[in-house]
Amino acid sequence: MLGTVLLTFAAITVLHAAFSTYEHLSHLKAMGRPEGSLPIDIIVEALFALICGTLGASLNAPPLKEISWAAEMRKRNIDEMDSRLGFASFVNRGRNLFSGPSSQTKLK
Amino acid sequence: MSLSHSALEKLATFRVNNTRASQETFQNASTVLKSFKRLGDDGWAVLEQLFLASVDVGRLDVADECLRQLGKQFPHSPRVDVLTGIRMEATESPDVVLEYYAQLLDADSANAAIWKRKISVLRRTGKIEKAVEELLQLLDTFYTDVEGWLELADIYTSCNQYIPALQALSHVLLLAAQNPFYQLQFAETAYTAGDIPLALKAFLVAVEMSERDLSDKSPPVGISVRAWLGVKLCSRRLLLNSSPSASNTPVPKNLHLIEELATERVLGVYSSKNSASRAPEGRDVVVGWVGDR
Repeated sequence: MLGTVLLTFAAITVLHAAFSTYEHLSHLKAMGRPEGSLPIDIIVEALFALICGTLGASLNAPPLKEISWAAEMRKRNIDEMDSRLGFASFVNRGRNLFSGPSSQTKLK
Repeated sequence: MSLSHSALEKLATFRVNNTRASQETFQNASTVLKSFKRLGDDGWAVLEQLFLASVDVGRLDVADECLRQLGKQFPHSPRVDVLTGIRMEATESPDVVLEYYAQLLDADSANAAIWKRKISVLRRTGKIEKAVEELLQLLDTFYTDVEGWLELADIYTSCNQYIPALQALSHVLLLAAQNPFYQLQFAETAYTAGDIPLALKAFLVAVEMSERDLSDKSPPVGISVRAWLGVKLCSRRLLLNSSPSASNTPVPKNLHLIEELATERVLGVYSSKNSASRAPEGRDVVVGWVGDR
């Protein structure tokens, strides 16, 4: 939750800095000095928003997953590795076990 | 009702891992028949999965509907031919099915999927020698087919011919080098064949492969347990009476230490500190077995 809060705060701050820049530049243009530099506090605000946003995104990240090959192998089981589906026989007891009562023959 | 996101994810995992959980697939995917067009490209893969699962489970009505839809979308596809063959296997006699496959192989003699189905029918109807002959021909043509080598090893093991099974499994180890499951299968086959030093070496390799990235001393899980049990079994037998190795594998030097370590690891799995309050099942049996010298 702290991550989301920081991230939203950083987004708002960036937008605020952007709007301030726009206002400042239009102010300079109105005064006839379009080449002036930005005031230092807008730059500081933008950098602060960057740091907050980075912190918020890192805290917001989903939990880390294992990527080693051995960790992947721990998730599998022998039935999957030995399934040999290309050679699988589809004539087995499954039709008698699973198909349900309607297709079972009744004993007389 | 369309498929939920988690059901689709589970079906995708089944496709990637080659799982054959037919009952679960059938339950998850049975609603896909009405809504597969919405799933895009994945919809056809799920339809094929549902077809295979319903043939396995015995619901041939669902299977026929899937096959009809797939045939309509992909008219002359060899993959749909394989599925048609599978559907025929479920109801027709083996001779009819073999004739159908022979006809398809005449048209395209390198169709590996149809060849595999033919070998499967031959094995199922008891013509094992013919099946092995065809399988060896298939593996000559497609050497890198891990499934084929595993099937060959399985056929040999079912006929109690463990040395040819070991040879087939050694090809599997070449092709799928870092897979602890195949290493474990090789180790267990070597043990059954009587070559205990080779089995011990292979069990130790399996243990190393599956526990390579663990830094803590947590008890083994999954196939590590089976591999550690194998190490204990082999080392105890070698300590009691040294058996000759048909493959001239040398016996490791510190056999006592290996056996002690294996005992410790196995007992760690069945320790009562792991589970909440009661001891795990089988603990008495295991403790009696490992303590018995």
